[in-house]
Amino acid sequence: MTGPIARRALALLFWVTAAVIYLPIGVMAVFSFSTARYQILPSPDYTIEWYGRVFTDGQYSAGFVNSVLLAGSVSLVATLIGFACAYSLVNARFPGKAAFTFLILAPLAVPLLLVGIALRIWTTMLGLQPSLPLAGVGQVLYVLPLAVLNLRNRIAQLPKSHEEAAWALGASRVRAIVDVILPACRASLIATFILCFTFAFDEFVIAYFLTNFSVTLPIKIWTTLVTGFDPTINALGTMVFVFSLSLGVTAQWLLMRKDR
Amino acid sequence: MPRPPVTNLWQGILPAMVLMAGFFLLPILYTLGLSLTTEGQAGLTLVNYHRFWGEDTLTDALLRSLALALSVVVIATLFAWPLAWYLAFCVSERRRVLLLLILVAPFWTSFTIRAFSWQMVLADSGIAGTALRWVAGTDVSLGFLYSLPASVFGLGLFGIMLVTLMVYSSMVTIDRRLIEANAVLGGTGWTAFREVVLPLALPGWIIGVALTFIVAVGDYAVPTLLGGGLRPVLAQVMLSVLKGTYDLPMAATLASVLVMVILLCVAPLLLLVRGTRLQS
Repeated sequence: MTGPIARRALALLFWVTAAVIYLPIGVMAVFSFSTARYQILPSPDYTIEWYGRVFTDGQYSAGFVNSVLLAGSVSLVATLIGFACAYSLVNARFPGKAAFTFLILAPLAVPLLLVGIALRIWTTMLGLQPSLPLAGVGQVLYVLPLAVLNLRNRIAQLPKSHEEAAWALGASRVRAIVDVILPACRASLIATFILCFTFAFDEFVIAYFLTNFSVTLPIKIWTTLVTGFDPTINALGTMVFVFSLSLGVTAQWLLMRKDR
Repeated sequence: MPRPPVTNLWQGILPAMVLMAGFFLLPILYTLGLSLTTEGQAGLTLVNYHRFWGEDTLTDALLRSLALALSVVVIATLFAWPLAWYLAFCVSERRRVLLLLILVAPFWTSFTIRAFSWQMVLADSGIAGTALRWVAGTDVSLGFLYSLPASVFGLGLFGIMLVTLMVYSSMVTIDRRLIEANAVLGGTGWTAFREVVLPLALPGWIIGVALTFIVAVGDYAVPTLLGGGLRPVLAQVMLSVLKGTYDLPMAATLASVLVMVILLCVAPLLLLVRGTRLQS
């Protein structure tokens, strides 16, 4: 129903859009190897000095360690809570289930800035000091909808009969979940963990509002950007891009593979 | 059929519910409530809102946020429909997965890094400025970076990705026989779009547009890095109030205004989705 000329035009539109999306990332990658302090083309010479700086500058490595620890704990907690919640949502019938599902997904429909500000105001009122664990709680909120959606879809696909067989053999609800449901969801659980990790690792706003002195990688990048340029950012940005991209691709691959 | 063991499934929901109530619902309600108070005065007051409407810098910031979000939504829509059509109807299934991945993958990385990488391209000394000087042959400056259109551009790309994805996911579920029936009855590609695809893919478009609007109206990173600080959007003003003057009630007021804007603009859209679902 689409003529050959229209088809060509649409393909052209797609590739032009993709090229525009990738252009700045390519530019950043090129400059990350340039010896020039500022972006000038053609680059005078090429170097891997900026990549070395990422590892020798203590603040970047501290930020990286903080980010990995934070994102790791956040996605672990979100995956566990998300699984419990998803399982119950699939199996339970209770009044207000629709409203509750809506509440769980609501953080998707609220700008992160609002979540960050509201949490900052709320925790100040409660007298809690801004800290990494507090930022972690905020980030769990942010990734939980993703975890619940992913796992709910998977659990709903499972044939009910396997779990019922376990019950017939005398397994308790928890035992059946551990022996039957969890193994069947393995790929989805790993994918959910990775996906939550990717989002938590790059999350900036909540971490910025709920920490004072601890620095995560996105916060370090942000403060470097607004206080003055440092070419190390090009190298770091390229590395973060490759890192997030490989995590994202792995998660998607796991999610698609389970369908077979 | 064996009866499920007696367990209270509420236990599974409890952790998520405690988290949502204690760290999402209550903070937001508290913030909304705080906007009705002011320091050194007991009871509820609308004084913050009066201040908001009285100060041009604040209302201008709100208008800029609205202009930004609406432009982003329009641009995303214009690109998303043809792109989604291409992905859903013009490529094979295997290729489709690859193309979707190409479109979505860059958005998995940090928002901040993406905004910053555009800075390098759009700056007068960047690729775009250099190209312009080369084409023009004289020393002209682009003057694009640090303007509202630069923010529209940065967020527009995100919007194109998101809306395309949502429209596409509605389009692929359309029963192909409906389109064939349209062709048998003498319909063209255009009538297939207007009579079959458009109404059925509308819910996807609405959800995509709603999410894009929410991100664009509340974003802080892109307006700061690409839009600059001279003509701030609401999010930038909010942050400077919070981190600069520590006037929590005023920050809460700005946040509440943002909540109201989102509710006013997005709620009708979501009701529309409900309407279209009920019809079909």
